[in-house]
Amino acid sequence: MTIDWRAYQATGLYDELVLPSGRARTGTGKLVQALAKLSDDELVERKAAAELAIRSMGITFSVYHEGTNIDREWPFDIVPRLIMKREWDEVARGLKQRVRALNAFIDDVYHHRRSLRDGVVPEDYVLRSREYRSRCAGIDPPYGVWSNVCGTDLVRDADGSLYVLEDNLRVPSGVSYMLENRAVMKRIFPELFEHYAIHPVDDYPSELAACLRSLSPRDVRSPRIVVLTPGIYNSAYFEHAYLALEMAAELVEGPDLVVAEDDCVYMRTISGLERVDVIYRRIDDLFLDPQAFRKESMLGVPGLMRAWQAGNVALANAPGCGVADDKVIYTYVPDMIRYFLGEEPILANVPSYRCAEKEHRDYVLDNLQDLVVKPANESGGYGMLIGPHSTRRERDEFVRIIRANPRNYIGQPTLGLSTAPTIAGNTVEPRHLDLRPFILSGKDIYVTTGGLTRVALRKGSIVVNSSQGGGSKDTWVVEPATREPPG
Amino acid sequence: MTVNVLSRVAERVYWLGRYLERAESTARLITVNGNLIMDLPVRLPLGWRPLIDITGSGELFESLYGKGHASERNVCRFLATDTRNPGSIINSIIGVRDNARTVRENMPRITFEYINELYLFARSSLVPGQSRTRRGEALTQISRLAQQLEGFLSQNMLHDAHWELLRLGNYIERADMTTRIIDVRTVDLIAGHHELEPFQDIQWRSVLRSFYAMQAYHASVREPVDPPLVLQFLFKDERLPRSYLRCLNSVRRSLRELPRNGDAVAACDDALHALRDTDVARLGGMEHSVELHGFINDCQVHLSELHDAIVSTYFG
Repeated sequence: MTIDWRAYQATGLYDELVLPSGRARTGTGKLVQALAKLSDDELVERKAAAELAIRSMGITFSVYHEGTNIDREWPFDIVPRLIMKREWDEVARGLKQRVRALNAFIDDVYHHRRSLRDGVVPEDYVLRSREYRSRCAGIDPPYGVWSNVCGTDLVRDADGSLYVLEDNLRVPSGVSYMLENRAVMKRIFPELFEHYAIHPVDDYPSELAACLRSLSPRDVRSPRIVVLTPGIYNSAYFEHAYLALEMAAELVEGPDLVVAEDDCVYMRTISGLERVDVIYRRIDDLFLDPQAFRKESMLGVPGLMRAWQAGNVALANAPGCGVADDKVIYTYVPDMIRYFLGEEPILANVPSYRCAEKEHRDYVLDNLQDLVVKPANESGGYGMLIGPHSTRRERDEFVRIIRANPRNYIGQPTLGLSTAPTIAGNTVEPRHLDLRPFILSGKDIYVTTGGLTRVALRKGSIVVNSSQGGGSKDTWVVEPATREPPG
Repeated sequence: MTVNVLSRVAERVYWLGRYLERAESTARLITVNGNLIMDLPVRLPLGWRPLIDITGSGELFESLYGKGHASERNVCRFLATDTRNPGSIINSIIGVRDNARTVRENMPRITFEYINELYLFARSSLVPGQSRTRRGEALTQISRLAQQLEGFLSQNMLHDAHWELLRLGNYIERADMTTRIIDVRTVDLIAGHHELEPFQDIQWRSVLRSFYAMQAYHASVREPVDPPLVLQFLFKDERLPRSYLRCLNSVRRSLRELPRNGDAVAACDDALHALRDTDVARLGGMEHSVELHGFINDCQVHLSELHDAIVSTYFG
């Protein structure tokens, strides 16, 4: 049996591909038709081909360490997610606006604190944030940009509009999967690419390299760029190696670098010490420099903060940028946009309740079964309460921890996350998804075309994190077909 | 343009080269010895012990298995699957894999599937106490997979500084193994167990077989198997890929492609001069066995100085 779109139940939510009637959404007809033409065997065959491609391309190169597999593969779904170019252009404008405001805010926090004095964001929230770094005050990173690489998570609600769920300003990951997913799709579904003008995504590594080059403190023709990784046991190591290779940058670990007496950073090579200009660091602030932060850190480089403060090396992202990557601070981003840019926000936040404020807190505590409660500073989907899926006991526990530390929690309505057709067995079923575009800020600002679509592979689940049963899809930003066939 | 290499990566690549060569030559050694044993009468003293001496692990072996327990089963286990022996085949392959993990972006991506394949095969096919047939098949396959891997890298890897470092590891390990094989086998032979004399020919042939060089010897030397000629061939024939001279020349060529090579090239030249100044054929006579052993000892010292020069120049 082939895919029967009339049997596809879009569960009353917004489906990215298919209307409640079972007909294709405007612009998606060709894809829906092409998928419907595949027999069961072909579907299974393509899925197997995708898995083989992923293996042979090394995306999942697995290493067995005494019986355990320390590189996990990230499941890939072969049905692409489509976004119309016209919608995307607007989203991209909104993302640029948002990241400009966020960077202006961070720069303000570490300089004049105008926005705090003017009451845009309560000073107390900022200065007592776990991610605030007092020693970053007064530092001037190039162009006043602190978060050079930002990954902003977007979700679509049942009403069809996109909301910003969170901004990952520190060390966002996932972009390598966006690139590899496209490469896999080209291999297994080349004919689909005939029907659409699909915007390419593979300019990302060169855009990232250009962004990093623009930060170099030395005015040299080809500044030395390195990617600083915690090492092979980090879950994103594949991505660190991938980006270094694609950018022709050196992939380094802390012990490869040394800060000399001239306060410059060098790497140890077979030719001796070689000066480093820009460090794209993929390790957290607190592990960067044992002299400045955690003394026991083996991942960092002693003296690195000193070299950065002296302006002899660029760090991307800048230490301290996480102060705006806090879910309580997030709730003020629309106000930041108005304050710093004098513009109305193009992209909306998910409505949020700050537990630190009594009225909001009372509302959250009274409505826990309907809300999602998130801690201010966790990532990977950990430490959350999903009200509708929670037990009485879990809710009671959250009442206790919210009361104990209200500053650390926000509540949000449970969104009816949009779905898209996803392979399940030998047919397709709706699964919830989100979207993580990446925004690069240096001399210029750039947004990926689309981004990484993450999908919750378990039926009904809304958790898309790779560590918790999530997978990913290729994301196509397309020009609408000139003539739509009947769906 | 020379591409610079991180010291950490350089060290990993170098050891990858050494471990790969070690895994392959150890597998070959066990196989050749197994064949030799079958050709000799059971009562003769030659057994499996020489392999322990060739690999320079007598003390460790005795501490694990006891003195005088160099049985076929124990020696094969020690050399093939014993994870307590850092030089065992399985540990060498783990060494290849672990070093490859951190340098995988410097090699063709598919390399790591091959390395995993080699590891998984060794893991499942080498079992202590297995039959000679099974062991022979497994070792032959391991040797083949390892050689394939070297061939694959040679054909597909960019021949840049990473490649030269890999070759350094290969050839230094190979030179080391070549001298060890000659040392133990020939000292054994030359020191004259008189009851072995009728089987001398078989043993010299086994030395040559350890290098897969039986036919090569005939083609190159065009004389019957004779100790002085065999020594000359194994030490100084530039056309034999595993000869000591060829290994040193290859090391030297690779070093010339690397920066700051002064100390290492000097150490390599010391080894080459010592070889040039020694008439190895003369050492083939029984009366020179002590001298031959002394010369091989010098070779080992030169190799270790060469290794040290590489470590302090590039990996510091």
